[in-house]
Formats: sequence, structure tokens, C-alpha cells
Amino acid sequence: MLKIFQRLWQVNWAEQWQYRANLIMYLLYWLVSPIIYLAVWTSIAATKGDVNGFTANDFITYYMTLLIVDQITSNIVIHTFAYKIQDGTLSGELIRPIHPMLTNALVNNIAFKGLTIMGLVPIWIILFFLFKPDFGNLALSGILLAIPAMIVGFFIGFLLSAAITALAFWTTRIYSLYEFYYALHLLFSGQFVPLTLMPKLIQDIAQYLPFQLLIYFPIQLILGKLSSAQIVQGYVTAGVWLLISIAFFKWVWREGVKRYSAVGA
Amino acid sequence: MSPETILVEHLSKTYQVPEREGGFGAAVRSFFKRKYKEVKAVQQINFKITQGEIVGFLGPNGAGKTTTLKMLSGLLHPTAGKATVLGFTPWELKTDYLLTMTLVMGQRNRLSWDIPAADSFLLNQAIYRLSDDDYKRNYKELDDLLELEPLMKKPVRNLSLGERMKCEIAAGLLHRPKVLFLDEPTIGLDITGQARIREFLREYNKRTGATILLTSHYMADVTALCERIIIIHHGQLKYDGGIGDLSRKIAPFKLIGIRLAEANSHDLSKYGTPVQNEEDWEKQYIQVKAEDVTRVTSGLLADLPVHDITITDPPIEDVIEQAFNQ
Repeated sequence: MLKIFQRLWQVNWAEQWQYRANLIMYLLYWLVSPIIYLAVWTSIAATKGDVNGFTANDFITYYMTLLIVDQITSNIVIHTFAYKIQDGTLSGELIRPIHPMLTNALVNNIAFKGLTIMGLVPIWIILFFLFKPDFGNLALSGILLAIPAMIVGFFIGFLLSAAITALAFWTTRIYSLYEFYYALHLLFSGQFVPLTLMPKLIQDIAQYLPFQLLIYFPIQLILGKLSSAQIVQGYVTAGVWLLISIAFFKWVWREGVKRYSAVGA
Repeated sequence: MSPETILVEHLSKTYQVPEREGGFGAAVRSFFKRKYKEVKAVQQINFKITQGEIVGFLGPNGAGKTTTLKMLSGLLHPTAGKATVLGFTPWELKTDYLLTMTLVMGQRNRLSWDIPAADSFLLNQAIYRLSDDDYKRNYKELDDLLELEPLMKKPVRNLSLGERMKCEIAAGLLHRPKVLFLDEPTIGLDITGQARIREFLREYNKRTGATILLTSHYMADVTALCERIIIIHHGQLKYDGGIGDLSRKIAPFKLIGIRLAEANSHDLSKYGTPVQNEEDWEKQYIQVKAEDVTRVTSGLLADLPVHDITITDPPIEDVIEQAFNQ
């Protein structure tokens, strides 16, 4: 199995490398909104002194951390997989003795991530000198705690997206559904605004949803803003959502494959 | 395990195809209530294939050949009926089943277009759990038969159609499958390319004792490789037996195409049955019995100012249509 993943990595890395120009464009597109939030909130906080206790530096460190965390936990599986179900190119992969989603698509996403992170590094350094964040109370323990949280967060996001992608076995119009899922993600993950600045109701809902596990929870871990009780609660929620997303994906996939119509040649 | 490698019992597949009329009103109505049409692609077919057989699977377009192959390889779940291949139910997609069979269809299947075939081959080595020795031995065998080596280093998208087909077939056979489902393995290839693939399949079957079920548009593929033919038409099994019996059953005929010196339209019906050929407007075509070909041809050449004349086998679809549609 290790050898399979190793060879899958070689192939997918080479493939992604072929499309590096496309990848840079994607990265720039993806960078636009967090950088706008960063700029807008920083200038508001700078003129008012703070926003609900969030200073300009708090916003800068939050969004600078978000750039890295989001890049690690996000996935593009719907864009690289849904069309295969719709146009029948999945056929070749479906009859290989490995799971198309949990091996090839997974490695493909990670390879994509590897390259975009490489592209992100210089941009992040430029932003660092531009905004001069003060990561004053950054601690190694926070970063070490955030690493498993980000890995689990990535798998939760990947499996949920994969399950939505697999709905393409039923209907060819899954992109609007995914847009809706992504809107929920924007609202409840802490991508728009740090969740503490959201209305109480949204915060209460968000802590039971999976989305904050991909963004808000790891960021707060890194920045050392959570109490031990909050850390434990976050990890328990992550564990529960990991199990839910595994079960959900497995069910959708099993039922979906029965409906596969293998269109095209 | 049953002695039959492939066992098919009452296998049926019905597709639900959404349909609506054109126009805005119909579009709005279909938003609320979709209408579906049932298409019976395969209806209650039965057959058995024993180990080592090469069987040709024939039928006109839309007859259900590909649907049947997709069910037997596990891609499609049937609507009703049973099938076992090597003792497995294909659509359960058990790993042990997938390790011992192959399905080759179309052009884009096992190879990634962006990287050289060599990389995809190495990936297949890992996926099919081949040791380095087995991989080298199998690759060498395929290379001997198909001359792959010069193609391996180029990105697949830069290969010609024939080169790509060779690589696709080789990629599908690296793991030495015991059962091969081949959908149009020679489509798009020139005559030499077709002959080479045929030669290869025969040799592979001889060396490994693999069971092969193949569909083809070319009668030559089938006559060269298969002793047994299964014909389906409109989803139903129409014939299952030796190729010799089949040619006796089908009155063999040929197509004669001629181009005349002066612009077209001579009444040729006294020489044979006129047929339309949409791909070739320049010629007029008539269909004649095989034994009459010489006589009719010399008659045509003597009577008419013939510029160009061709004698060909009719398309396989037409032959089957004629034999089984009466």
C-alpha cells in the first residue's frame, strides 16, 4: 500500500507540475478575499482603536495565520473529480483495484496543496514585511497542537466534499449544492471574520458544525488563544466529525456507485 | 468455482433516460415533474464462456454490447439477472476480482495524458501489486509483441492514436489478467495496426490461456480471432455459436462502388441492389452476392464508362441487420 501511495504521489506531482501556471493563477485568485478582509478590518481597527477588543494586530495575525491554515485544510476534490462521474472518465479508475477517491483523488489533492504552499511562501513573506504582524505570544506548543488539528480538519473537509462530489452519481448538477456548502463554510468557519466577532447565535451553532475545525480552531490553537477546556472540546468535536464524515462518505459512495452509468465510450 | 469462466443468466439492464420536448413550457414542466423513458439496453441474455475461449461479441450500434461488457467488468449494476466471472459477482468490485480481469475500452482509460506512459506503467505495477521481477517479465513480453519501448518516454498526449491504443492495451495487460473484456480494441487503427493487435491477442491467449470477450466493428477482427460468436441485437441474444455456421446463415455479399466518367446517376439496379453510402457521395454503391461479384464487375466494366471501382465487405452492422431483422 505504501508503494501505491508513493507511485501515486510521483504521478500526481508530475501532473500538477505540468499545470503550475494554472496553479499560480488559482493561488492568486484564492488570495484575493483573505487579503481584502485583512486590509479592510485592519484599517477599521486602526481608526477605531479596536473592534470588540480585536486590535489591528489581532486582525493581521489572524488573517496571516488563516492564509496558511486554509491552504493546508482546504481541498479541490469537486473540481478534480465530479466531471469524471459525469462524463464517464471514472470508468478506468473504478475498475482498478484501489479506491478512486481515497487513493488517487486524495493524493492528487495533497500534491496540489504541496505546490500551492510552495507558491504561497514568497507571497506570505512579502505580506509579512508589508503588514509587520506581531506574533508576540506565539508558542511552539500551540503550533504542535495545531498540526494534528489541521490534519484531521483536512480529512473532515475532504470527506465531506468527496461525499458531495459523489452526489454526482445521482444528479449532474451538484455545483450549486456545493456552492451552498461553501457558503456555510464561509459563514461558520471563521473565514469571513473571526468567529468571536460574529453574533452569539452564530458562534453557538458554529461550535457544533465541522467548518470551524478547518479554520477557526487551528488558528486559535496556533495563536494560543484557547483554554485547555476549549482545546479538549475542539478535539472531541473533531473526532466526532471525523467519524461522521467517514460514515457519510462511505454510504454515499456505496449507494452512488450502484447508480453509475458509465456513459461515454 | 464453476467450470465456466463467465456465466451470464437472465442479465438485463434498463436505463431511465429523462426526456422532454423542446421549448420553454416543456422546460418549466420538466422542472417539476420529470418524464423518464425506459430504454431496455440488455434483455434477459444468457451465455457461458469457458476458460481460454476467444469470443466475438457482435451487434449493431446500440445493440447492448458495451452495456454487457460494462456489467461483466463491474462498472454497471444490472437491473435484473446474474453474472459471475471467475466466481465473482463483477459489480461488487472486489479487489481480488479487479486484480485478475481487465477492461480495455476507448482511448483514455489507464494512462494519464500529461505524463509519459512509463510513469503510468510503474503506477500500475504498484496498484496491481506486481513484484519487480514479475513486472519486468510481463513488460518484456508486451514489449516483444507490441514494440512499446520507443513510446514509453513521450507524454501520452503526444502519441498517435495507434501508439496510444498499443500503450492502453499494454497498460491493461501488465498484470496478466485471466479475463479480458475488450471493447473495440482496434478502432481507429490502420490495417497494419489492426493486424498487429489481432496477432498480439492471439499470442497472448495462447501463452496465458486467458479468456477473451471482444466487441469489434471489423468483421476481420472477429474472423481472425474468434471461433465463437455471440450476436445481440436490440438487447436480445440472437445467435451464439461457431463462426462457420454463422457465415452459412448469413448470405455473404459484397459492396461494389463505382464512379462513372460522366456525372453520376446511372440506373444500376439491373446489376444489384443499390445502397446509399452517406460517407461517399462520389460513388454509387450496389450490393451483390459474393459469388456474383466477378460476373457483375466485368459486366459493369464492359457496359459503362467506369472511372473507379471498389469491392468491399459491407459493414458488420448491415450484415447483422439483414440476417436478423427479417
